[in-house]
Amino acid sequence: MLALGLALLLASAATEASPDSEAEACLRTDERGEQFPICFDPGDGLLLGTGLRVRDGERAQSLRAGVLIRTGRTSRSKGTPWFNSHRLLGVEAWGGEQRGLIATAYDGTLRRHLEEGFILLPTARPVRIPFPFDVTLAPRLGHLERRVWEGPGWTLETARVGLLVDPVRAETGRMWLGVGPAASHTLRHSPDGDEHTVSPFTTLMLDTGLESADGLWALHASGLAGWSLGFEGGTYFRARAEAGLERVLFAVQDQPVVLQVSGAYVHRDAGLARGSEWTAGAGLAVRAFSARW
Amino acid sequence: MLAPAVALGCALLLAQAGGGEEEDTEARARELLSHLGEKPASPPVIQPPASPLPMQDPNAATVCLTLPPTKAVPSGRWRAQCDDSTKRCLVAPMYELDADGVETERTLERVGPCTDESYFSDALRLKTYRLEPAVADAPPGWYRDERGRVMQFNFDLNRRLWLGGAWAPLLRDGEVEGRMRADFGISVEVPGEGKRLHRLRFLETELFLGEPSFETTLLRYDFSVERAEPLFRVTTFFGKPRRYDIDINLGLWMEVLHAEELEREDTKAGFLTWGAVHATLDLWHSKDLVSYVRVRAGPSVERDYKNGFTTLVPGAALEGDLTLDRDGFHHLRVGVEAEKVLLAQSVEGRPLRPERLRVNAGYELILLAINDQPLSLVVDGRGAWREDLQNVPAQWEWSGSAGLRFSLWAPARRSAPLATAARE
Repeated sequence: MLALGLALLLASAATEASPDSEAEACLRTDERGEQFPICFDPGDGLLLGTGLRVRDGERAQSLRAGVLIRTGRTSRSKGTPWFNSHRLLGVEAWGGEQRGLIATAYDGTLRRHLEEGFILLPTARPVRIPFPFDVTLAPRLGHLERRVWEGPGWTLETARVGLLVDPVRAETGRMWLGVGPAASHTLRHSPDGDEHTVSPFTTLMLDTGLESADGLWALHASGLAGWSLGFEGGTYFRARAEAGLERVLFAVQDQPVVLQVSGAYVHRDAGLARGSEWTAGAGLAVRAFSARW
Repeated sequence: MLAPAVALGCALLLAQAGGGEEEDTEARARELLSHLGEKPASPPVIQPPASPLPMQDPNAATVCLTLPPTKAVPSGRWRAQCDDSTKRCLVAPMYELDADGVETERTLERVGPCTDESYFSDALRLKTYRLEPAVADAPPGWYRDERGRVMQFNFDLNRRLWLGGAWAPLLRDGEVEGRMRADFGISVEVPGEGKRLHRLRFLETELFLGEPSFETTLLRYDFSVERAEPLFRVTTFFGKPRRYDIDINLGLWMEVLHAEELEREDTKAGFLTWGAVHATLDLWHSKDLVSYVRVRAGPSVERDYKNGFTTLVPGAALEGDLTLDRDGFHHLRVGVEAEKVLLAQSVEGRPLRPERLRVNAGYELILLAINDQPLSLVVDGRGAWREDLQNVPAQWEWSGSAGLRFSLWAPARRSAPLATAARE
């Protein structure tokens, strides 16, 4: 099923349609003559879901929620399009013996698209060197992780910002591949005291996604690897990778119900103890207000 | 056949009625012919390109003309700016050209509006003019190359969001300590009514690793003004009465929530400025008010959160921020600042009213632009002398830094010239 989904996803993502024809193709008319949507935007809507989460063999029920906003705008200063995805107030909480919570105040990607990227050398007559990449800014603010079974304490990534280049340079917000350095500050608070670490662009970040034109399929993967430096000294190598697949199963009152499958690996960065772990999850979610009319 | 015949008849009638105004009448006749869709006698010819190509004017009216297809421009679609007095049109392809000079499918970016020839009664007449290849127009601060690709050559670093990193070693007690610096900030400039320029900085942050310290300001605001009326005027009555105007451009500088945390030897110190308000006096500013040299002085309210009390901190500064070139590539920033901490509680190992002195000089140079976003080299030198650190003897410490900054936004400066003017 996964392979079939990916094949469909790739096939549909490769097909570009004009906005008018796309809008028409996204609507069906029922027997009473009323229109209903058959396309959805995986980057838009109010998300509320539940599922099963497995961490190192321990199963637990999880809840997730968040606000997704996807916008496109044309820069006034540069006259080129931006493809922006904003994820606000994202929360994932799980129960069981290893209860925990991950909350993110804001996570976004802002990609500026150029049909023909370049580097300008400011000589008397400007020289233009091809630079076949879009530039993406990927900020994340207030990412909190609380693991009850580890005892009192929490990990807060106050801010992270990635400066990514995107060789795919898609003309829509449905496909992206950003790779580049990221800077971040993390505070680990425990009864032993606070520990600050900073990664001053010493981490490599990857963020990629692919969505079908009708938005029924969505694939997202991200990862980072690199070093962070402690305020009190010490250098820490860490790596993270996660991938998720979404499929709209059906819609109730035009609000899609989505099957979400995800997996993640964290290397020497999980929790206060900087552990390594695998997690996997599957669940259903309602993504309200994400229909494309 | 009927339409040309009628038109010719009309033209002849007009010519007879005109008598001594033959030229004017002929022009009217030609106009009438053009209204009736008459084709020119010979197909339009595009002249060989000059070197360098002339540039179109973004403020001139532009007509979208369809000319006979050529090898380089098979669509035959051109943007034309015509001069009736010289009977000459500057024509540029409507699409970008590839490396071989052949039209692509990409339309030109950042060009002005173009009126289609179907809405233009004189289109046929224009095609009889001398058609000279040109580079399409570009807005101020932008340059278009001969392939029609546009790029920004003028950057306003006072309107940007920046991210940077630098190597910033610290010299103290004769020892050099390696440090890294990460910096971030958002700066905005807004022209106000009259001759006034408002400057805003948000979340200006510097974080040092090595000897750890950080400094961040939530909001900083100031304005420069060029007053129309002099603040004082002095009239002298020795001989012929003379009037001397004394212009004093007073302004305001303020800061909200400035935090500084630092560690020296075994001492950790933290200061949170709730707010600071200074009066400013511009000793000099540029015509556009962007560059300035000024003095400022005023109080701030500061919380020493490591020692747990609030203080009043009067301060004064002499500072300058100069944009050295027309295109915003070179920036010089200098400053000297003195502060005295008042109303502090007694803390062992430091004076009751400690003082601080800071000096700095920095230079920023745009090296290149990636997709119209500038990447700049930043070098600076700083010195600080302070008595407010517990059990740390007051002494000068010096640091230098060299690093890179990537700026987002950075539109063209408000004073940006057109590429034609820049070339000249």
